[in-house]
Amino acid sequence: MLNRLQRAAPYIVLQICVMYFYRLSTQLDFMAPAGRIGPDAWPKMILVLMGGVCVYEIVKNLLVGESFTAAGLLEKLMADADGGAEVANQPNYPLRLWSGIGLTIVYITTIDILGFFTASSIYLALFMIIGRYYRWGVIAATSLIGSLGIMFIFMKVVYVSLPLGTGPFLTVSTALLTVMGVH
Amino acid sequence: MDILLSLGAGFLEVFQPMNMLVMFIGLVLGMLVAVLPGLTLVMGVVLALPFTYSMGLLPAIILLTSMYVSGTYGGAFTSILFRIPGEPIDVPLLWDGYTMARNGQPAKALGWTLFAALCGGLLSATVMVFLSHPVAKFALTLSSPEYFAILLFGMTSVVSLGGGSISNAFISLLLGLMLSTVGVDSIYGTERFAFGVPFLQDGIEYLLVMVGAYGLGEVFTRLEKGFKSDEKVGDSDGKIATEFPTLAEVGQLKGTFFRSSILGILVGIIPGAGATIASFVAYGAESQYGKRRKEMGTGIAEGIVAPQTAATSSVGGALIPLLTMGIPGSGATAIILGAFLLHGIQPGPQIFVSSGPMVYAIFASLFVSIIGMCILGYFAIKPLVKVLDLPEPVVSAFVVMFCFIGAFAARNNLSDLYVITAFGILGYLCEKLKFPIAPMVLGSILGPLAESSFMTMMISENNDWTVLVARPISATVMVMAVVSLVYPIHRQLRERRLTRRQTP
Repeated sequence: MLNRLQRAAPYIVLQICVMYFYRLSTQLDFMAPAGRIGPDAWPKMILVLMGGVCVYEIVKNLLVGESFTAAGLLEKLMADADGGAEVANQPNYPLRLWSGIGLTIVYITTIDILGFFTASSIYLALFMIIGRYYRWGVIAATSLIGSLGIMFIFMKVVYVSLPLGTGPFLTVSTALLTVMGVH
Repeated sequence: MDILLSLGAGFLEVFQPMNMLVMFIGLVLGMLVAVLPGLTLVMGVVLALPFTYSMGLLPAIILLTSMYVSGTYGGAFTSILFRIPGEPIDVPLLWDGYTMARNGQPAKALGWTLFAALCGGLLSATVMVFLSHPVAKFALTLSSPEYFAILLFGMTSVVSLGGGSISNAFISLLLGLMLSTVGVDSIYGTERFAFGVPFLQDGIEYLLVMVGAYGLGEVFTRLEKGFKSDEKVGDSDGKIATEFPTLAEVGQLKGTFFRSSILGILVGIIPGAGATIASFVAYGAESQYGKRRKEMGTGIAEGIVAPQTAATSSVGGALIPLLTMGIPGSGATAIILGAFLLHGIQPGPQIFVSSGPMVYAIFASLFVSIIGMCILGYFAIKPLVKVLDLPEPVVSAFVVMFCFIGAFAARNNLSDLYVITAFGILGYLCEKLKFPIAPMVLGSILGPLAESSFMTMMISENNDWTVLVARPISATVMVMAVVSLVYPIHRQLRERRLTRRQTP
């Protein structure tokens, strides 16, 4: 039963979301001429279809316990390809994954304060370490030179205004831009 | 004659130094992303997009299309030499390409691949040149029911042809369509599902969905599986050379070349299918109908020529619906569409009227790219396979960085970084729960077009949806859409019944 529930869980979550968004779509504020469909029609159609597929999968997995799944052409072709089993048996490292995601969230929340160069140098270095790469010289060189190179290309050549940071970090960014000849 | 004159003018435009330079860069980058196992072709094209913001439209499109075309070829090196398919496209090359290399003929296997890419690419480019104008003229006669039916067919074909279960692919597509409804709708100006958040009121750009789901999502997935840290993946120090097949050998395989090129072009034209499906389908066709079908998998030339010819020829096919109807059929063409839109050009039936010279320059650039790709593949194979030695954590860290810059640079908006991170996590979850990403991305791209065609049709036909089956073209396409969705389910149910009967 637990196995069935596990298989059905994603569809149950999706079904709850579908119901929530359907309710939202009934509350849209618009004025449509009489007899003409409104801006709620299209999302409602999508949600009804999605709800239908979710109900089918929930019933199939939870109540019937059916394991049959119709697969797309590519899925079938790839199943015959070499290496499929090898990939399926690879171990997982959830700690690395969630560290990477956490680091990414910290990066995007601090980039405005630290500025592109400082935030990116730290991010690149830590991401490589999380990925189990321990050549410290290479890490330092690639993260610093990489951030600087990207900053130069995008601010000097592509004209993208990257975040410069605040306080002392702004001073660092401004100094680097002066050295690069970006005004 | 007009077409040839316009194409000639296009060649003159392409031979400008700046255009040749970006083409060279595009070819090298395309091969690099195809060789590196952690980087897919679509990811590579996504990462190149921010570099095109400050370019003119033509160099931008040349950069992306040359990456697209060389990306269908570069991965062949590592498949054949080291049994490492850089892309799913290259998996069929393992069966005969790698076997031929192990049988002592690696140079010959590489030569066949190169020749197949050249033939398939040039033939599809020629077909594209002569087919695009008539298709655009035909597209001008279509109205909203036909457009809606074509878009629906594109969406159902990505569900039935792609990876994953059909239910999951369908949910993924619908999720993409829902994403495209976020923001202010174009007909009534009503705010939908924005929750009062300013950046959601502007809608969710499909480029953010692509960059997040394809780029970040893939990196997160690989991070969880563990990067290959600082280890040499293949012995790239050995002698690597390319030996061309003789004319007599090529003559014996002319049927395979022709069959696979046509298959590649047709698969490329179908929205939702792409180089990977073309490659597998051509290999399958050769295994069923080829002269030496019983020897497939033992290291014969047909097993190399069929997938490679089809993969490269799918590029020309995929560009036809993009340029003539504004419908991108694959991830890479969706990014090329993004580049067009960023430069204020809407591909579609009018493009030959509004930007004819530019379109012919794009056609010409495809011919030059294919030839350039083969020259580069011949001379630069050794340094190219050296990139396999790059440590994956370093490459992945920079991939994430370019994803962020690509997302940020489009609108100079830091909120977009949150959006792509959210889609990165969603992409990872999709991968984990076996929901294919491609339908979601295609849904978010085609969603606004499909909704606008649907609404226009319903308004002009007084809510009479039966117009979809009452008009001959839309009815035919609707039938194709239904068949493309129902047939795989029916086939697999039949296979299951047969298996059950045979099992005592």
